Amino acid sequence: MIPRPALKTGANIPDSDGFYAAWVAAHEGLSDAESNDLDARLVLLLANQVGDQKVLLECIAEARMG
Amino acid sequence: MASPETWTFAPPYQLPQWPFVAPPDLGAGERIRYPVVIAGGGLAGLTLACDLALRGIRAVVLDEDDTVGVKGASSRGICYAQKSLEIFERLGIYDRIRAKGITWSVGRTFSGGDELYAFNLEDESLSEQPPFINLQQFYLEWFLVDRIVDLGGTDLRWKSKVLTVEDEADSVVVEVETPAGSYSLEAEWFIDATGANSRVRNAMGLEVNASRSTDRWCISDVKFKTPLPAERWTWVDAPFNEARAVWQHLMADDVWRLDYQMADDCDPETIGKPEVAGARLREQLGPGVEFEFVWIGPYQYRDHLLETFRVGRMIFIGDCAHVVSPFGARGGNNGIQDAGNLGWKLALVLEGEAGEGLIDSYHHERYAAAAENLTVTKRTSRFLAPRSAAEHRIRRAVCTLARRHEFARRLTNTGRMAQANVYPPSPWAKNGAHPVQNVAFDGTTLMHCFRPGETRFLGLAIGADAATLVRLDEEAALLPIDFRAVDPKSPLAVHLGAAAGTVVIVRPDAYVAATLPEATPQAVQAAMRSALGLDARASLPVETA
Repeated sequence: MIPRPALKTGANIPDSDGFYAAWVAAHEGLSDAESNDLDARLVLLLANQVGDQKVLLECIAEARMG
Repeated sequence: MASPETWTFAPPYQLPQWPFVAPPDLGAGERIRYPVVIAGGGLAGLTLACDLALRGIRAVVLDEDDTVGVKGASSRGICYAQKSLEIFERLGIYDRIRAKGITWSVGRTFSGGDELYAFNLEDESLSEQPPFINLQQFYLEWFLVDRIVDLGGTDLRWKSKVLTVEDEADSVVVEVETPAGSYSLEAEWFIDATGANSRVRNAMGLEVNASRSTDRWCISDVKFKTPLPAERWTWVDAPFNEARAVWQHLMADDVWRLDYQMADDCDPETIGKPEVAGARLREQLGPGVEFEFVWIGPYQYRDHLLETFRVGRMIFIGDCAHVVSPFGARGGNNGIQDAGNLGWKLALVLEGEAGEGLIDSYHHERYAAAAENLTVTKRTSRFLAPRSAAEHRIRRAVCTLARRHEFARRLTNTGRMAQANVYPPSPWAKNGAHPVQNVAFDGTTLMHCFRPGETRFLGLAIGADAATLVRLDEEAALLPIDFRAVDPKSPLAVHLGAAAGTVVIVRPDAYVAATLPEATPQAVQAAMRSALGLDARASLPVETA
C-alpha cells in the first residue's frame, strides 16, 4: 500500500446506494461522449467541494492505479 | 459573383538609425579596459545600460545593427507589466511610454460564442503605474536609446558584432568586428544580452534545455478604421477559427495584434499569405470592417532555461538566459526585470560597497523567476493545446462550468499575466525578497525616493519621529541606506503590512530585503551586510537545474 495520509478510504458517503443510483441515473440516455463529459464536469464540481490540494492529488494518484 | 477582396499593407514603421562611430579602441596600441560591456541592444541590454547610466556607471553597449527592433519581424513584445513600467518610471521614460502606448487592465476570455469571464487587474493594483501598457517593442527600445544618449556617459557602439569572448581571471576579453575593422577590449564584467540565439552562449557549450512546441500560431498585425475596445480578449476555442484559440490586443498607432492558433499540420508558408490571413480576419470581423495589414508572421514558440546565469565575469540576461512561450507576457518583461535586478548589484560591486558574491544573487533570484515563468507558461500552453481526447474533455468540462461558476473560471487558463516574481530565501534575503509596488505616500512615490546618480537602499521607518530618523541615519552612516518615515496609516505601510515601529529595508530594485520589528543598530547592520553580500556566509554555490 502506498501511504496516502490525506485520503479518506473508510465509508464516508451517508447513503452509498442512493449515491450510486443517482450517478448511474445521470448517465441514462447519454451517448458515450456525453457521459464522459458529464463525468469530467462531476470531477470538477467534486474537486471544488473537497478544496484540499493534498487530498485532490492523492485522489488523482489513487485513481490512476486503476 | 463578387470579385475577390484585395489586401493592402500599411506603410512600414519608420525607425531611427544611429551612426557607427569608430571607437578609440581601433587605433589604440593596447586593449582598453571597461567596467561593464553589454552585448546586445534589445530590451534587456538597453534597460541595463540605462539603469547603469543613472547610477553613474559608464557601460559600453555593442549592437550588431544600427536601429531598434528585429528586421522584418514587426514587434515581438507588446505588453509591458507594472514592474517593468515602474523600472521605466525610475529610468525616466515612463511618461513617453504612457503617452505613446495603450493602457489597459481589463481582460475577457471567451469560449465558443460566450464570454466566460472578465478580469480587471486594476482591482489589485496600488501602484502609480497601471497593470499593463501595450506598445510595440521597438518604440520602447527607441525611448531607451534616446534616454541613454540624453544621460550621456554610455558608449553606444552600433554595427559592432561580438566575435569571441574569453573569460580570464578578473576580466573578459571581447573581440569585436566593425565596418572599420576588428578590435579587442577588456571588460571587468561582460553581459550577454544578445537574445535567444546567443553565439557567445552557444560557443561556450552551455546547456539551455531547449524545447519546441508543435503548436503553431500566426500573427496578423492590422490597422482598423473603426476603434475596438482597449482590452485583452482571448478565445479558448473561437467559432471563427475552427474552434482554436485567438488573441486580440491593441498597440500604439491603432495597430491591433490578432494572433490565431493554427492546426498542428498546417503549412507555415500558406497560413502567412495575405489572402489566407485576410480570409481568417474576414471570418472574425464579418464583411464591411475595413483594415489594412501591418505585418503577418507565422510562428512556433519554444522555450529554454540556461542552467547558470553567471559564469565567472560573464552574466547572461534576457532571452539569452531564458525563453518562454508568449502567454502572459513573461518574455520581454523578464528581460527588463533581469536588468532591474542586476544593475544596482553591479554598481555596488564596482563601487566596492558590496561583495562580489552579490552577483551570484542575480543568478539565484532571476533563475528562480525564470523557472517559475517556465512552469506557469507551460501550463497555459497545455491548456491551449490539448494533446488527447481526454484533455479536450477535461478542458470542455472547465469551459462549460466556467459559464456558470466562479471556481471553474479560475481553471480557465489563457495566460497568467506577468507579475513581479517573489524571490526565494537566500543568504542575501533570509525570508526571500518581496516586490513593493510604486505606491504614493506623503506627497511622493516609492520610485521617487530612489534618486538618480546614486545606488542606495531605503529604510522605511513606519511611524518614526524626527529624532528616530536622525538616530537611524547616524547609526548607519557608513552604509548605502537612507531612512524615511512612513505614516502607519498610509497605503504604503498597509501594502508592506508593517506596523508602527517596524523598519522595512527596501533594495534599490524595490524589493524588500528585510523587515525589522526592532531597528537596533545591530539589526540594521546585519540586514544590510547580508543584503550587500558582505557577510562571509553570504555566498551560495551556483546551483544547476
